[in-house]
Amino acid sequence: MVGGVSVGIISWGAYIPRFRIKVSDIARLWGFDQLLVKSLNIEEKAVANVDEDATTMGWYAARSAIMRAGINVGELGAIFLGTESKPYAVKPSATIIGDALGLPNKKLASDMEFACRAAGEGIRISIGLVSSGMIKYSLVVGSDTAQANPGDVLELTAASGAAAYIIGPKDEGVAYFEGSYTYTSDTPDFWRRDGSPYPLHGEVFTDEPAYFNHIVNSVKGLMSELGLRPEDFDYAIFHQPNGRFPLRVGAELGFPKDKILPGLVNPWIGNTYNASALLGLAKVLEEAKPGQRILLATFGSGAGSDSFSIVTTDKLLTRVNNALKVTDMLNNKIYIGYDAYAKYRKLLERI
Amino acid sequence: MSMACRKVYIASASMIRVSRYFTKSYKELAFDVVDEISRNLSNDGLNNIDYVIVSNVFSDSMLDQLDISTILTQELGLTPKPALRIETGESSGLAAIAHAYALIKSGLASSVLVIGVEKSSEYPTTAINKHLTKLLDYEVESIYDFALVNEAAFLMKEYMERYRYSREDLSSWSVKMHSNAVRNPYAQLKFTVTKEQVVNSQVLSDPLRLLDSFPIGDGAAAILLTSNDGLISNSDYVEIEAVFQATALPLNLRDNILELPATKLLFSRLVKECKVDINDAVLEIHDSYSILGYLIIEELGLVRRGKAPEVINDLNNVNLSGGLKARGHPIGATGVYQVAEIFKILTEGLGDVRRNVTWGLAHSMSALDLNSAVVVVRRCR
Amino acid sequence: MKLSIPRFWRRRFDYYSIRITECLECGRKSYPRRPICPYCKSRNVRTTNSVGLGEVVSYTISYYRIEGSEENLPKIIALIRLDEGPIVIGEVVDVSQSEVRQGLRVEAVLRRLKSEDPSGLIYYGLKFRPLITNSAVG
Repeated sequence: MVGGVSVGIISWGAYIPRFRIKVSDIARLWGFDQLLVKSLNIEEKAVANVDEDATTMGWYAARSAIMRAGINVGELGAIFLGTESKPYAVKPSATIIGDALGLPNKKLASDMEFACRAAGEGIRISIGLVSSGMIKYSLVVGSDTAQANPGDVLELTAASGAAAYIIGPKDEGVAYFEGSYTYTSDTPDFWRRDGSPYPLHGEVFTDEPAYFNHIVNSVKGLMSELGLRPEDFDYAIFHQPNGRFPLRVGAELGFPKDKILPGLVNPWIGNTYNASALLGLAKVLEEAKPGQRILLATFGSGAGSDSFSIVTTDKLLTRVNNALKVTDMLNNKIYIGYDAYAKYRKLLERI
Repeated sequence: MSMACRKVYIASASMIRVSRYFTKSYKELAFDVVDEISRNLSNDGLNNIDYVIVSNVFSDSMLDQLDISTILTQELGLTPKPALRIETGESSGLAAIAHAYALIKSGLASSVLVIGVEKSSEYPTTAINKHLTKLLDYEVESIYDFALVNEAAFLMKEYMERYRYSREDLSSWSVKMHSNAVRNPYAQLKFTVTKEQVVNSQVLSDPLRLLDSFPIGDGAAAILLTSNDGLISNSDYVEIEAVFQATALPLNLRDNILELPATKLLFSRLVKECKVDINDAVLEIHDSYSILGYLIIEELGLVRRGKAPEVINDLNNVNLSGGLKARGHPIGATGVYQVAEIFKILTEGLGDVRRNVTWGLAHSMSALDLNSAVVVVRRCR
Repeated sequence: MKLSIPRFWRRRFDYYSIRITECLECGRKSYPRRPICPYCKSRNVRTTNSVGLGEVVSYTISYYRIEGSEENLPKIIALIRLDEGPIVIGEVVDVSQSEVRQGLRVEAVLRRLKSEDPSGLIYYGLKFRPLITNSAVG
């Protein structure tokens, strides 16, 4: 799966809702020990407002990406929305975002599902579309208002957020793809049945057989094909279900902490599912210098992992400040308690 | 006799108390008021009527009824007379009277029965609030759930800031209206209120509170207009001298939100075309929200701009009925109430309230002055 | 089915952007998009899209209960002057009651407007949110 060397990242966009709830407040209400909270290494999580959903958040991130890119929207040939919190089970949100942002009718468009890595797959597909010459630019959005059964440990981390990437010709990119690799299998670590409001998960089963197994295989596969080692990378960004797994899987693969911490955003926003690793990448792009190599590894339950080797170009610095940055949004917050949280996330049944 | 000389008299008027009539339908309310008119008439009762006009706003949305004027003619024994329903939002009542006036003035009819009827209590308040948002442009405003109370709140805030009034200062309107309503046997809210009660009532849209707003209620009122003076039973003749109507642009397009453009137009035409002496008149104006009451009397020139809250307590010819605030606002029927009240005040008395003045001015508006009307009534001496 | 499909669909671009009437005769801009200038009545008009930025001219905190949309209460409704000139009415979201003020800079953002029942169509449209400034853009 080497190839796509003619393809790059034109720009990115991020969206983090303003509201935050402290994980310790959730833990206290549901009787979780504060030591457990500490072990997750997540302080607080981002909460979408009652009138937000994956579509509206994705719209904002996509609009930022378009603003940052400065491209003509008419040249976007595809839009993919990766989400596991689709507002409609059947009816694409990708076309809603597409029409709302003025994308042309001539385009590919679909909502994709593979838990947290759907947007990652969207990026790989886009690399194929662009390098084959089928389209010039592709817009990939990862957006989720993650659900969790109230009182379940998942509720301590499930959060809301969105990230968007415009994929296009390498020579226009702020970064380019040296290569990419996807590793998938039928591993049921976490799922949500149609009609069920909340997912179920295998608890510890989600760790080794799922998260670690797939990321390690994906990254090792990528590095092997490209002949790269951890020392060749300046940054390593992993999917962030909590604040410790990225450090653990990174260590297992041979990446030191200081290469992982810059891309770690979930301690302040929680697990934003499809936006998780992609928000980490956005933050890194906003701090990186040209000529640096970044490892990006997604993970989606069910299960699979994409990994990408991304090298920044000298176009990076010209686009960073064209739109809001991840740090701008991390710092812009309003704290709420479990009462407002329950209302915003519609945990209270109303007729 | 030429059309210009043809007079339009108010032969008779009747109304019921504004209230929530859970035990009565719109047909029964209309029947009660028309029956009273029928009993007031000499010669041949309602058969003299050439035309029936019904003023009603929410028949489609709340009563599942289209063509309500026809259904009422059937109920009231008025078949096969021509029938029409008029709807211009909250000013429907005066629009209906304006249309009746036009029919008679033009010679197309000799006697027209105008019935205003509204049943607002068929559903809980949140449902009526939803229907009220339809008075704004659905595609531009109602779809976002913007409401009249929000717009009135902007006016209140601007007024308080521009003329340096406190929230308590602006409570004077409601206090005065309630005080007037105590003497009106047909008023919905026949009790006094204090400034403190107004200020402390439930917030609808800050700073506008419940006691700044009209109450929700059912009502019915009827007026018989005629050029045939043979139908008039009282000794004093009261006629409709003129009617004026105008529309206006929405609030966001107004350069000065404290100006009521349609009302302003109406009052300037009133001044030019009629020789109304405001000091020899009683007025019933559209105070759906207290802030509008102040703005309307300032627009009319009764008081200087910015002075209305200080002066209202001393005005003894405005909204003697209690106004929309305290007499009530059965939406489509309100305009008919206003003219019926003026008629009674000039003749037999509204309760014990009578005035020996020459003129009566009824003013009505829909939403924040989007479609407004003035009916000028004159006692013929 | 409570919400009309075609009524929203045909106007969706008016809900996804703020489209303004620009009169080429008198120069005034107004909202919404119309075929005739509401001020000078000229038909020599064109439609332009607002960038979506503006500032709060006046606001009210609304507690008014409208059937079907009580979940958003209390909400902030404001008169907003767009940078292009015209004034619009809009809901301001994601802001605390202490933060909202005259002069607050806001940006238009896509939000769920209504969804009358869990099985029905979702209407999306624009509301306003405080403008977060980029450290470099300001």
